[in-house]
Amino acid sequence: MKFSDETLLAYLEGSLDEDQCRAIEAAVEEDVTLEQRLMSLDPFAPVVKQVFEGLPADTPQVDLPEMVAASPVRSSGGYLRLIGVAAATAIAAVALTLWATRPVEPGWAEQAAIYQSLYVPETIASLNSSQQSLDAQFEMAEEKLGRSLNRDALEALPGLELKRAQILSFKGKPLVQIVFADAQGEPFAFCVIRQGPAAPNKDVKQAVLSGLATATWAQDGYGYMLLGSNQQTNLDGELGVLRKTFSG
Amino acid sequence: MVGEMNSEQAVRGAIQMHSKRVWRFGLALSGTSDVADDLLQSTCLRALERHHQVTSYERLDSWLMTICRSIWLNEVRARSVRRAQALSVTPEAELVATGPDSETNIFAAEVFTQVMQLPEAQRETVMLVFVEGYSYREAAALLDVPIGTIMSRLSNARQKLKTVMQHDLADTARRSGK
Repeated sequence: MKFSDETLLAYLEGSLDEDQCRAIEAAVEEDVTLEQRLMSLDPFAPVVKQVFEGLPADTPQVDLPEMVAASPVRSSGGYLRLIGVAAATAIAAVALTLWATRPVEPGWAEQAAIYQSLYVPETIASLNSSQQSLDAQFEMAEEKLGRSLNRDALEALPGLELKRAQILSFKGKPLVQIVFADAQGEPFAFCVIRQGPAAPNKDVKQAVLSGLATATWAQDGYGYMLLGSNQQTNLDGELGVLRKTFSG
Repeated sequence: MVGEMNSEQAVRGAIQMHSKRVWRFGLALSGTSDVADDLLQSTCLRALERHHQVTSYERLDSWLMTICRSIWLNEVRARSVRRAQALSVTPEAELVATGPDSETNIFAAEVFTQVMQLPEAQRETVMLVFVEGYSYREAAALLDVPIGTIMSRLSNARQKLKTVMQHDLADTARRSGK
């Protein structure tokens, strides 16, 4: 059956009756040329394409493991093949050495610790911590993260005064840093990052990073981190409260 | 032969070449850009683990899309949909409204929102055919449905997109001389 451009266009615009539609759809199954004609006449496709083709604006970041070993080269020649295998082995050896000695790229927790380690009492002494500015900061931060920050629980942490909630970003993911002053005016921080629903849950891990005692865990798509104040070695008090508060 | 690629190199190359395309498909599946980020990352890692399974270097893009969709359906979907409902997520139209002309931005944002509000099956089909240019039969193979299903999904999607597009459609039709 032959279909005119007008008929095909009417199909695409939804103005043909049911029988005519079925006839075109049945014909397309058998006829690649008809399929191509229909696709090229579709007035919707270029409009939608134009809107979406610029996305994402930047080439997305993908973290892949280094190339460790080259698989044997598919080849037919015996002599060249041997050279190929030898070369592949040499490349693999170099790649392995590079992999073993590669600088470890800091993750979000390492990066947050580096940043926090630059804080001194003066950094937070002059912050405007009025209820009004905290209200605005928390509202923005919670919107960015897409979850509550349980401000009541944060304000009730013993020995810590809430100073500021600041929005940061790590590899395009929203990261909120909440800073407190301890009894000596030393900065203490709690960070939350939205990692996305595919991120695995992780149990609490304590470590010294950039000279600060830290504890990190991850649950339900969010990562959490405590960064102790200068000289603080025991995070158990805060950790107990926050682990319970941010358990889901 | 010197210069012949092995399958791992081919997969790495495909990842580099098609990362935007896989991200867009992840966006169409999940409806949110941060899930699209995660889907892309998981897809690339999974593809790399499975590079031995690659028998032909043609259409590695379809292979990546298939992996992305299977990760979405089997591992991420249930959790994401629950979360989206809890947060009542709205389409991130600001992603496309970035040009200097505000009228164009408004139109782009409307089209974006309409597409993102289509049911998931129509949305993924629209993305593959309208945006990525897969033919109906290629999309049918990728989504594992009959070609007629692809066509009827597109027809349903066109009906919903019609209202927002009617002004622009007139222009397009004029330009293509139809």
